[in-house]
Amino acid sequence: MTDAATDRFPPGTRVRTYRHDPPHHTRLPRYARGKRGVVVEPEGPGELADVSARGRGDAPVEQIYAVRFEARDLWGEGDHHVVLDLWESYLEEDSDDER
Amino acid sequence: MSGDHHTDATIARRVRRLETLLEEKGLITGERLDEAIDAFLAESSPANGARVVARAWTDDAYRARLLADGTAAVQELGYMDGSYQRLRVVENTESVHNVIVCTLCSCYPLRLLGPSPSWYKSEAYRSRVVREPREVLREFGLSLPASVDITVWDSSAETRYMVLPRRPDGTEALDEEGLAGLVTRNALIGTAAV
Amino acid sequence: MARINDVGGTQGFGAIDTTDDTEPFHADWEARVVGLFNTLRAQGLFNTNEFRDAIESMPPAEYLAASYYERWFTAICALLERKGVLGPGELDD
Repeated sequence: MTDAATDRFPPGTRVRTYRHDPPHHTRLPRYARGKRGVVVEPEGPGELADVSARGRGDAPVEQIYAVRFEARDLWGEGDHHVVLDLWESYLEEDSDDER
Repeated sequence: MSGDHHTDATIARRVRRLETLLEEKGLITGERLDEAIDAFLAESSPANGARVVARAWTDDAYRARLLADGTAAVQELGYMDGSYQRLRVVENTESVHNVIVCTLCSCYPLRLLGPSPSWYKSEAYRSRVVREPREVLREFGLSLPASVDITVWDSSAETRYMVLPRRPDGTEALDEEGLAGLVTRNALIGTAAV
Repeated sequence: MARINDVGGTQGFGAIDTTDDTEPFHADWEARVVGLFNTLRAQGLFNTNEFRDAIESMPPAEYLAASYYERWFTAICALLERKGVLGPGELDD
């Protein structure tokens, strides 16, 4: 939905979500922390909810990505998929050597 | 629900008291509140989503635009103007079924689907549909063949999702209005087929 | 560890009541709470993320015992107190 060239993670990029357990509002559910997924596409920019939730007007604007996860990567079993919309700072590129 | 939550009468009294306090402080007026409630109800109906679906079923070019950029395509029909949210429409096919949830709260495309049903906001639905969607859909009376891949869309940011259900067989004679009449709220969420 | 609202995958909530309730509100006060939310947010008293944060910050047992719009009301009151619009305990006077 945005110019992919300007985005850090183009569609198809293998990413991993952070394992962090922040002591504040966040939009990365616990079931998807530290998990591997694949970027579907960028969803467009948005204010980082973690900061905006503190009532601050200076929340950074980041790209949000739709990221697709396989059920067995989330739950150890299952044949379905789950897609989450995740802010860029929730994600890092997944390097093959850690697999 | 446990037995010690506020009774309806108690909370109704507290809401009324808050309204009075905020009126005294000059922050709201009863009229303003009535307008906000009317606007909430008037702009939101599953008939809106049904109309979008019927258009997509009868107009291939519209369907393509809807799947490529849901926000712009529903704006063509007069919905979601001025909304800060984006809409993504996900299409059911013979081999793919989509279903929508918000596990963290209750995000939902209000204007296109109308106020959400209680089950959509329940812990039971929110906890289970990401873990065992096939079983959950069966509880709604929708049994999908094992060959159908289920994708659950967990609305965790500012994009809202709507399902484009499959057009049923034998509906060739129906016009757009007739088709829209077949589309239910649950079909737009993905817990039913049309 | 996460907040009580973060229920994706949590076991034990049981069967889903799939009743297709078409009434948006089950009591008049629920409509008033939605009206309050929309009006106060539009006036910039809080944003949506602060509101979600206030709901999630309810003690877990209270969150689970509260109805949907009771959570909204609790969050609105908490935010109004935090912003100094309501004095502590003013609503209970």
